[in-house]
Amino acid sequence: MTPDIPGALSIEFDNYVGSQPMQLDPVGSTDYRYITGSGQEFNLSTFRYYISNIKLEGPDGASFEDEMNASANADEVRGYYLVQEGESSSYFIDLDDVPTGQYNRITFTLGIPEEGVQEGAAGGILDPAEGAWFWTWNSGYIGLGMEGTAADSPQERVERDGFVTEANTFALHVGGWKEVEGNDNMVDNTRTVTLDFGDVVTVGQDVKPKVHVVFDMLEILDGAGIDFSQTFQVHAPRAAIPMADEIPEAFTVDHVHQ
Amino acid sequence: MYISRLAGLVSQWASSMLLAAGFLILFACQSGDAEDVLDTRYRFEKPANFPEPTYTFENNPVTPQGFQLGRRLFFDPILSRDGSVACSNCHQQGLAFADGPQHPFSVGVDNRFGIRNAPPLANLAFKQEFFWDGGVTHLDFVPTNAIENELEMDESLANVVDKLNQHVEYPTLFKQAFGVDTITSPYLLHAFSQFMVMMVSANSRYDKYVRNEGETLTEGELKGMQLFEAKCGACHSGELFSDFSFRNNGISTTFSDEGRARVTEHPLDVGKFRVPSLRNVARTAPYMHNARFKTLEKVLEHYASGVQESPTLDPLLKDETQLGIPMTDEEQTLIITFLETLTDYEFVADERFRNTSQ
Repeated sequence: MTPDIPGALSIEFDNYVGSQPMQLDPVGSTDYRYITGSGQEFNLSTFRYYISNIKLEGPDGASFEDEMNASANADEVRGYYLVQEGESSSYFIDLDDVPTGQYNRITFTLGIPEEGVQEGAAGGILDPAEGAWFWTWNSGYIGLGMEGTAADSPQERVERDGFVTEANTFALHVGGWKEVEGNDNMVDNTRTVTLDFGDVVTVGQDVKPKVHVVFDMLEILDGAGIDFSQTFQVHAPRAAIPMADEIPEAFTVDHVHQ
Repeated sequence: MYISRLAGLVSQWASSMLLAAGFLILFACQSGDAEDVLDTRYRFEKPANFPEPTYTFENNPVTPQGFQLGRRLFFDPILSRDGSVACSNCHQQGLAFADGPQHPFSVGVDNRFGIRNAPPLANLAFKQEFFWDGGVTHLDFVPTNAIENELEMDESLANVVDKLNQHVEYPTLFKQAFGVDTITSPYLLHAFSQFMVMMVSANSRYDKYVRNEGETLTEGELKGMQLFEAKCGACHSGELFSDFSFRNNGISTTFSDEGRARVTEHPLDVGKFRVPSLRNVARTAPYMHNARFKTLEKVLEHYASGVQESPTLDPLLKDETQLGIPMTDEEQTLIITFLETLTDYEFVADERFRNTSQ
């Protein structure tokens, strides 16, 4: 085993709502595909999250840390990934330059932590003009965004300057990266997720293993006890804390392919 | 053998060329070559009496082309939804890039009133948080806030980028500044930052006095300085004249604009606003986030006798017996005399920051 010959490993993110594969509906649709643990019907129109700081570890000491660069040049952005439901190419993260060896564990951050914000304006998936979700009044990226319609959401239809918020919709945005001393509300809602493969894969020449990661949105909603009649608009760090706390529970490694 | 001799010759040739280049540089400096002057003008330099800058220069080094592009954008209303509002509408150089008394609140598209008095712009490379509530944590993201705020420019960053890409001149200017074929928002924001980090105001009479550059302060100004340090220095500390904390300074008992709490959502932050820098303060009337006071006299009078109690009032503004900062009328006048030495006339007249596109 020569650890300095780089190999590759691929991660696939597969989003579910409970046992159902995630599927999107048009904004405002009242076709409710999903139901929460407490019996509230809902659907999803947008679902996305950022992944960063990927690390791999192995039982024999092999390790890999993804290169990070929040560059203005979109072609030079490294280590930040946007998984967006409906865009199948975004489900796959290919890690190159992984040292040859055996691996059985992955760690990543859900969200864009301080380093990704405080390096200043960045391009590609971090560019708000290209679709990045960025809070302008409280600088930072929305790490996990869930939008859809729920039968119990009391959201009224609002039309302002041609922008329409449809009735019964919800928008749950989990963001916030900075902590302020003495303030329990000003929180870092990025979360570190560590997953065991349940198996050992080998990275080597001509061997590119694949790790199949499943995300279950019901873990977030049910774990945080989301009641759409009360919680249907979340756009600030404090209210998102209960959902952020469930993030590590929502991911599992379903299986690995050698 | 032959090869090494040739290499020796080449190296000899190279050093004589370097020597020649050295003479040329020397000559250029002596003759005040235009290009040489240009380089110095667009180089960021930390004033000797200032703290270390916070801006991420390593990601966005200032160049003449980037600075000039940022300047042009600063004065261009193309940023706003209907082409009516530029940054310079509310940030006027003669007023140290603050807004004037005629606009206590910023005026945006469709003559919409903003909710706060536009702060002056200076020494932005040294700050960690921006706006009255400190919600923006990096200079690059400051323009986004003004562009997308519906009471200010009411435009999306994506639309601005589209408009710039379709413009007859901007694509060339971005190519020259950043080498890019297509304009994207990070380069737009980097151009702004290159212009803004260069807005260093450090040549007031006070600065020249503390740097021992031959400036003297009058007896009244020096007395005022001592009083200022004793009465105001706890919050307006350091060479930027602010500790950049968030405080309720007692201008009201209730706060419809919750200030810092709009960002932190914390009840203990209601009514707190960032302690502003006092550089160029004599030119930045009206004062406070809500333009409450028209003159410095009114500001000092407020601290001496007008402070109002509320749950989050700053502890430094009250003790067991009284509210505010005890100051006689004469002391207030002397403090204002000192504050006037903080005006940097070179900064407010600096032609680098003028609109050259008209």
